[in-house]
Amino acid sequence: MSIDIYWRIGTHGDQQSLRRRVSSRGEWAPVVPGSITPGVRNGRRDGYSYVEHMADVARASESSGFVGGLLPSFPFTDDPWAAAAVLARETTSYRFMIAYQPGFLHPVQAARMSASLQRATGGRVVYNIISGGGGPAQLWWGDRVDHDDRYARTSEFLDVLKGVWSGGPFDYQGRFYQVEGAGLPEPLARQPFPEIYFSGSSKAAIEAAGRHADYYLSWLEPFPALAAKFAQVREHSTALGRAPKFAVRIDVLARETEQAAWDEIRRGWAHVDPAALRSADGDSVGWLRSQSFVSWPVRDHRELEVSPNVWGGFHLLRGGPAFGLVGSYQQVAERLDELIGLGVDAFILAGVPHLEEAYRVGEEVLPLLRGHDIRQHSPLPPVSVTKGSI
Amino acid sequence: MAAYPDFLVTVPTQGDGRDPLRRDRGEWQPGARRPLPPFVTDLRPGASSAFDHLAQVGRAAEIAAIGGAFVPFDSAGEESLVVAAGLLRQSRHLRVVAGFHPGIATPVYAAKFSASLQRFTGNRLGWQLDVDLDPAVARSQGDFLPGADRYARAEEFLTVAKGVWHEEGYTYEGRFYQVLAGGFQSPNSGLPFPRVYLTGTSPEALALSARHADVHLFTADQDVETGIGELAAQSAQEGRPVEYGLRLPVLARDDDEEAWAEARRLWDLAGGVGEGLPDPDPRTRLWGGFGRIAGPGASGLVGSYETVAAGLRGYLGQGVTTFVLESRPHIEETYRLGERLLPLFAKEIEHVH
Ligand SMILES: Cc1cc2nc3c(=O)[nH]c(=O)nc-3n(C[C@H](O)[C@H](O)[C@H](O)COP(=O)(O)O)c2cc1C
Repeated sequence: MSIDIYWRIGTHGDQQSLRRRVSSRGEWAPVVPGSITPGVRNGRRDGYSYVEHMADVARASESSGFVGGLLPSFPFTDDPWAAAAVLARETTSYRFMIAYQPGFLHPVQAARMSASLQRATGGRVVYNIISGGGGPAQLWWGDRVDHDDRYARTSEFLDVLKGVWSGGPFDYQGRFYQVEGAGLPEPLARQPFPEIYFSGSSKAAIEAAGRHADYYLSWLEPFPALAAKFAQVREHSTALGRAPKFAVRIDVLARETEQAAWDEIRRGWAHVDPAALRSADGDSVGWLRSQSFVSWPVRDHRELEVSPNVWGGFHLLRGGPAFGLVGSYQQVAERLDELIGLGVDAFILAGVPHLEEAYRVGEEVLPLLRGHDIRQHSPLPPVSVTKGSI
Repeated sequence: MAAYPDFLVTVPTQGDGRDPLRRDRGEWQPGARRPLPPFVTDLRPGASSAFDHLAQVGRAAEIAAIGGAFVPFDSAGEESLVVAAGLLRQSRHLRVVAGFHPGIATPVYAAKFSASLQRFTGNRLGWQLDVDLDPAVARSQGDFLPGADRYARAEEFLTVAKGVWHEEGYTYEGRFYQVLAGGFQSPNSGLPFPRVYLTGTSPEALALSARHADVHLFTADQDVETGIGELAAQSAQEGRPVEYGLRLPVLARDDDEEAWAEARRLWDLAGGVGEGLPDPDPRTRLWGGFGRIAGPGASGLVGSYETVAAGLRGYLGQGVTTFVLESRPHIEETYRLGERLLPLFAKEIEHVH
C-alpha cells in the first residue's frame, strides 16, 4: 500500500486566508498595490500573470512532500492543460492531475496532448475525469447533453482515448465518437497511460467509474456516507471484474491547537451572510448529497461540524466543495488515518492560501500519519444515507 | 529618494524553517526534515536541491513586488554572490544586494565579476561591503588585517573597483592595491556600478560611507538618529548624497493581539518557555526579543500591519528610506509583507491598468 497525497492548485486565483473572501492573487480581482501576479511596481503592473504564482504553489507542494496537484477546470478558471504544459518544465516530480470534461476535447486530440505532455514531464500526467454539473455552466461550455448521457459520452471518450493510445489503426463507431484508422504516431505511442481519477456520485457516474476508474474520487462527506458510497462503487466494479482504489478531495484547516483552527474559521464566518446561502442550480448529484448532510439554516459555524473535525462550511469561505477537516495537526492526521482505514488510497488536500498551507500541511500534518496501523481495523459499517442517496 | 520607501527582504543563508530553531528547508540540517511515513509516496529524494528553496524565496520577493533582496555575507552559510546571481537570473525586477568583504578578491576581480552580472541581469546587482567582520571570522577567511586599517583597505577597494569600472587606462598605486593601465572595455564598460551599501557607526565607518556609500544601513539597536546626523554632515562636506537604510526584523499580523501571540509562540519555541516576554521599548516600540528568535542583538517591530507601518513611518521621518526587512519563514512572510504591509505605503490605492 502506498498512499498518494496531492495538493490542489487553484486555477482561478487565491485568497490570502479564509478570514475574508477576497482574492488578491491572480487577475480575478482588481490589480492594486499588494496584488500578486500581476503585482504593482512603481504604480504599474509588473508584467506577471497568475501562472507565476501557480509555479510557486507547485514547487511548494513538490518540496513539502506532495506528489502533485489537482488542477480544476471551470468556466472562470485558467485551463489546466495549458497550465500543466507551462509548468511541466519548471517542476521535477510534480504530477499534474488535469481535471477535464471529456465532451469538450476530441478523444484523439486528448490522446495527442496527453502523450506529448507525458514526454514533456517524464510521465507525470494524471487525469481527473469529470462529467460536469449541468445548469448554466454546462451551457456556457456549449454542452447540451443531459446528465446520464454525459457519463455515456465519458465512457466512449475513454474507450477511444485508450484505443488510440498504443498506436493504431483503431476504428470506433459509437453514439458520440467515430474514428477510422486512428492511432498515436510512433514516438508518442510509447508513453505510460495516465492514471484515471474519476469523479461523480450519481448512479451513472458510479457505473462509468466501475469501467474506467483507477481511483474513484469523491469530495469529503461524513465518513459513514463516504463508506457507503465506496461500497457501492466496489460492488459495481467487482461485477465488471475491476477493483478501483479510492481517493478523497479534502480541504484542511489545521493549526497547532484545535482552538486556533476554529478561531480561524470563526474569523471567516463573521463575514458570511447566512441569508445569502444559495442552492446549486445544476444537476450535480454529488453537490445535492453534500448539502443533505446538514440541516439548513445554520446560525453558528459549529453547527456545521457533523462529526469531530468534519466541517461542512468551506464553500461559504471560498469557492469549492463544502466538506473539509478543521482541527489540530494531530486531529487532522487522525481523521486522515481513519479515512485510510476506510479504504482511501489517495488524498487531494487543499487549504487557503494554497502556497502557505502546502508548507504547513506538508511539514506539520503529513509526518503524523500512521495509516498502516489503522488499516488493520475493520472499516466503519456502511450506513444508509437518507436524503440525496444514490 | 522617492516618497515610497525602498523595501528589501533578507535571504536566508543557512536554511529556513517554520520555527526559529528549524532549518528543514534548504537542506541545512541533515535529517531535520520530518520524514513522511513509509506508506506515503514521497517523490522528493533526488528531485530537488538546496538552491531550489533559495530560488523560491527569491521568486516570492519578485512576485510580491518587493523592491529587492539582500543576501548577507555569512561565513558559515551559502556564498552570497552565487546566490545573488541565481536570484537575479530568475527574476526580472528584483534588485539583489550581495554582502561580501573586501578580502574575498582583488577589487579588479570583484568589479569584473560584477560587470558580467550587471550585463546578464539588467543592472540589478548591489554590493554590501562588510568591513567590520568579527576578527575570528575574518581570520577564518584568510584575512588578518586588524582595526581601522580595514577601513583604509575598503576605501582603496571601492576606489579601485570604481576606477577600473569607469576609466579605461586606469592606473592606481596604493597601500593595498596596484593597477597598471587597467579599466574595462566594451561591453563591460559603461555599465552602472552596483549600488553600494555600507554599515557601521564608528567614525571610520561613517567617513567611508560619506565618500562611497549609496546607502548606509543601520540596525535598530544602533542610535540611528545620531548616526544619520553625523553622516549627513560628512556627506554634505564630500558633496555627494547618501541615503539611509535600516535592517529590521518584523513580525506583522492582522492585529496586535495576534502578532504578540505569535511572538510568544516563537519565544517559547526558541527556549523562552517560562520566561516573561520582554516588553517593547515604550518610545521606539522596538522589541528586543528578536535577539532570541532571529539572532543575537536583533531588535525589531511586532504588531498589526498598521502598528508596524507606524514604526516604519517613524524612521521615515528621521530620513530612513530603505528598509531591509527580515522575517521567517521567508516565503510565507515575504508574501505577507508584499500583500499587507507594503501597500500601506502606496500613496493611493488605485486600480492599475
Ligand atoms: C473531486 C472532484 C473534483 C471536481 N472538479 C471539477 C472541475 O474541476 N470542474 C467541473 O466542472 N466539475 C468538477 N467536479 C464536478 C463534476 O463535474 C460533477 O459535477 C460532480 O462530480 C457531480 O457529478 P454527479 O452528478 O455524478 O454526482 C468535480 C467533482 C469532484 C468530486
